[in-house]
Parts: sequence; structure tokens; C-alpha cells
Amino acid sequence: MNKHLNVGQLRAALDGELDSAGLTHLESCSYCQVRQKALQTHSKLVADQLAFLSSETKVPGLSSSSAWLRFKEYQLVKKETNMFRKLFASSIVRYGVPALLILALVFAFPATRAFASEILNLFRVQQVTIIPVDFTGMEQLNGVDGPDISQLISNSITMTQKPGDPTQAGDVNEASKLANFDVRSPQDKTPSSIYVTDGTAFTFVVDRAKAQALLEEAGRSDLVLPDTLDGAKISVNIPSNVSIAFGNCPPPSSDGDGFSTGPGSPGRRYPDCVILAEIPSPSVSAPASVDVAQLAQLGLEFSGMSPEQAAAFTDTVDWTSTLVVPIPKNAATYEQVAVDGVTGTLIQRPADDAPQFALLWVKDGIIYAIGGLGSNSQQALDIANSLP
Amino acid sequence: MDESLRHESVPYAMKLSKSKSEESFEHIFHEYWPAIHRFLSRMVIDPAEAEDLALETFYRLYKHRTDHQDDSNARGWLFKVATNLALQSIRSFKRREHYEINAGKEALIETPNEQPARIFAKREEQHLVRMVLGQMNPRQAELLIMRHSGMTYKEIAKALRLSAASIGPLLIRAEREFKKQYQVLTQEEEI
Repeated sequence: MNKHLNVGQLRAALDGELDSAGLTHLESCSYCQVRQKALQTHSKLVADQLAFLSSETKVPGLSSSSAWLRFKEYQLVKKETNMFRKLFASSIVRYGVPALLILALVFAFPATRAFASEILNLFRVQQVTIIPVDFTGMEQLNGVDGPDISQLISNSITMTQKPGDPTQAGDVNEASKLANFDVRSPQDKTPSSIYVTDGTAFTFVVDRAKAQALLEEAGRSDLVLPDTLDGAKISVNIPSNVSIAFGNCPPPSSDGDGFSTGPGSPGRRYPDCVILAEIPSPSVSAPASVDVAQLAQLGLEFSGMSPEQAAAFTDTVDWTSTLVVPIPKNAATYEQVAVDGVTGTLIQRPADDAPQFALLWVKDGIIYAIGGLGSNSQQALDIANSLP
Repeated sequence: MDESLRHESVPYAMKLSKSKSEESFEHIFHEYWPAIHRFLSRMVIDPAEAEDLALETFYRLYKHRTDHQDDSNARGWLFKVATNLALQSIRSFKRREHYEINAGKEALIETPNEQPARIFAKREEQHLVRMVLGQMNPRQAELLIMRHSGMTYKEIAKALRLSAASIGPLLIRAEREFKKQYQVLTQEEEI
């Protein structure tokens, strides 16, 4: 090789990456050697500064066997969380994180929700009950991303009131005016932000064939939807909601999941964030011709219950007034607690990497949810019990 | 777009039959966990954050592996994803200083023979290096980190879909940019 080496080759030589022909040339070419020397001075400074990256010094941490066990746990939670998001992601409704929780739950099983209105022809939330769901069993719905379930069971959705972007309110009084209901906030705590998101309303007509195809796609052809479902017109009305943040919290995002943006554990990025969300009960109306209990039971079976369990559960629930909250079976626990003068439900995700908690209760027609990251769920109870 | 996903559409290669896929993943996990975890601990300091990012790195490998690929560059792929996750963490993790201080304290305990002033100076320099990497063009930062973490040109080229011959010139450019931004940052710190 007679041609002088280019800078890339000289750099490669410094890293021991130059081929033998290049090395032979370098050994005999004083011109290239001088140039390499200059380059070495330039590169060495940076190499010294970055040397800590390749340091072999042992760092404290999990052994690969313990890490593997953690990974299996992490994988399970991720899987469930992804399924949870896929099922509840709504492109129609844009709201803040805790409102997402509430509203997603209302949408969680639209069939159940909508048809629950048969008896009174109107569904309103008066109480909350929990149902642990094995989301991993719904992997067949993996392609279900973005649109909410109502889009999957209907060909015709009419927005009667489009959802707006969250608006920041200066204080609770302004929030009350914007949201059109009396917003409550603890007097001994100063919120870091208050957002009001306008309500939305839409109707859709159920396409039974489409809904049945969805069940079949999910591998549940054993579940057969009744013919009376076809053509049923469902109307959903979701009032304005308010999110009151305490501590360092992400602003409400357009997809309703500000916590998930960015890498790393949200629990460490927003360790002191607690959000109180308030929303008057959404209402869902449906024709009286639909068999509520039957649909509720199908929804429960779809979520992983045996037909017997589903029937027993259906019998215990007043479908016209109960918000059934599905939670990931393997990734969350729940308990009933006394809160704000009523009985509420405290849901906790006790994962080591990103523990979360949510406290839900209903009082005087308003659904309250307090969500936070970390394992200090006492904060939620303290806030709830200090509401005026 | 999530920067850590910028290049992940490149199929991770694993020439394995479906039945052996799980077994192979577990093998890869045990083989590379120590290196990936150690690398992330250097990059982000906070041990819990490093562990989270390491788990996420392997989770992405698990999610993106396909049945018709080979595992010859699992190390490169893992380092690339870990690098991007670490850079994102550096850019967004506002509580970093808290951990930098803690890391300084830990370093004092671990190496009692070293002069405290020297240890803090070293930590301060590493802090600035991380900040510069976080501010740099992501592609250049990625290249510098991967090379200075001990990856070969071949591994880097495969992971970043570049020709091996282009690594040398690109490294020189990245190093120039790094020095320039480091100088700017140190001047700002002095002010």
C-alpha cells in the first residue's frame, strides 16, 4: 500500500482496528506516523474523559439469576399494562391521567356499561366495585391499538360534543365555573396545577357481526352475542372533569398518559406527584330491549371468569349504578377503605420498579379518584379525608 | 419519536427455531446482564434507575426478536438500546444531581485512600461528560458511548447500520463535537 492512510484509517489504527495492509504502511510511513500522533493527542483527551464508561470496577446490583427473576416479573407487568392500555386507549376522549382512569373504566367494557342501562334506561355511577382481570389472556387483541372498543363494535359513531384540550385553571373556584360543578380541594394543600377538560358526548350503533368477529378474533367464539344487540343505539355523555395536581406532575397529555412518556420509572421521575380527579358521573343510555345481565356475564367471561363465576358475580352487582373497575390480576391488589364518609376502593400496584396507587370513591354523584406513584397510598387517604 | 426506538425497527438477528427462542433469550440475558447493568450504572449513576433501564433494555430485545435471525450481534443491539435509554434518562432526569452527590459520597467510602478533592473533581468531570453526551447530536453521542464502552468497529457498524470503514471518520467528528461542547459547558459552569 503506497497511498497514505486517511484519517479514518489513522483513527482505526489507534483503536487497533486497522487491517494488516494499513498497518504495514503505517510502520514504514513517517508522514502517516506524524499525522497519527497528532490525531492521538486529540483523541486521547476524549478517551480519558470517557474512560469511566468502560471501567471494570464492580458495581453493586443484582446477580444475573436474581435479575432474571426480576425480569420475569417486569415482563408480566409490562404485558398486562400493555394489554390494559390497548383495551382502554381512546382516541375519542382526551383527558388527564386520572380522568383517563375513570373514563377508561367507564369504557372498559362498553357492552357491559351501555347495556347496563336497560333497567332504568340510564346508567349512572353510584358505587365502585373491582374485578381482577387476566389481561394476558387477551393477547389475541394485540392489534387493537388506538381506537376504543366502541369503534370496534360499531360502524357508526356520531360525536355530539367533541372533547377539548385541557385548560389550566387558576384556582378551585375558576375550575368549578369551567367544569360546571362544585370542585373540592383540600384546604391545607396548595395544588401545583389544576386542569379542566371539557366533557364529550357521542352515540354509536352496535354492529353485532363486528362485535362478534372481535370476540372470535380474541379466540372466544364460545361467547355468542344476542341478536337483539344488533342496531342498538348507545348514547354516552361524559361531563367535564377536573384534575388537581400536587407535587411535580406531568401536564395532561393528548393521549391521556403523560406518565408514560420518557424513559425510566415514572415513580422516580414524579416521586411526589399525586393527582386528585373529579368528574360527575357519566351517563350511558341504551334501548330497553337489550338483556343486560346476559351481556354483563359475557363481558365477565371474556375477562377470564368461568361461566359460573361470571353468573355469581353478575348477581351481586347492580349494573345500573356500579362502575366495575377491571384491574390487572397479577399486577395489582385492592381493598375497601372508609373514605370521605363513604366506602372507597384502594388499588395498589406493588411492583418494586414503579409502585402506583389509586383511590376511587363516589359521593353525591361525583366520582373521585386520587392517583399517585410510589407506595405511600396514605397520601391519597389523607387528601380524601381532608376534602371540605 | 422515542429516540431509543429510532433504530430498533432493524430486526434483531437471531437464527433460532421458535421452540429454542425462549431458551436462547434466557442465555443471552445471563450472558449480557452484568455488562449492560454495569454500563448503565456508569451512565446514569442512580442504581435503581440503572436497574430499571437494564430491565427495559432486555424487555425490548425480548419484544423485538424474530424467529429468522441470528444472535451474532445481540451485544451490539443491547448496547445500542441501553445507550439510547441512558441518553434519554440523562436528558430528562432532573433529580440527577441528588444521585451525583450520593455517588460522590459512595466513592469516598469505596476508595478511602484517594483524596476527597480528587474524587469530587473526577465525579464533577463525569457529571459534565454525561451532560455533554446528553446535549450532543444523539447519533454522535451514541457512537462515542458505544466505542468507549469497548465495542468493536464491527459491532458498532452492525448495530448502527453503518459501514465499518465509516466508523473512524465519524468518531473523529464526534470527538471534535464532544470537545467543543465540553468547552462551552465548562465555560458556562465557570460563569
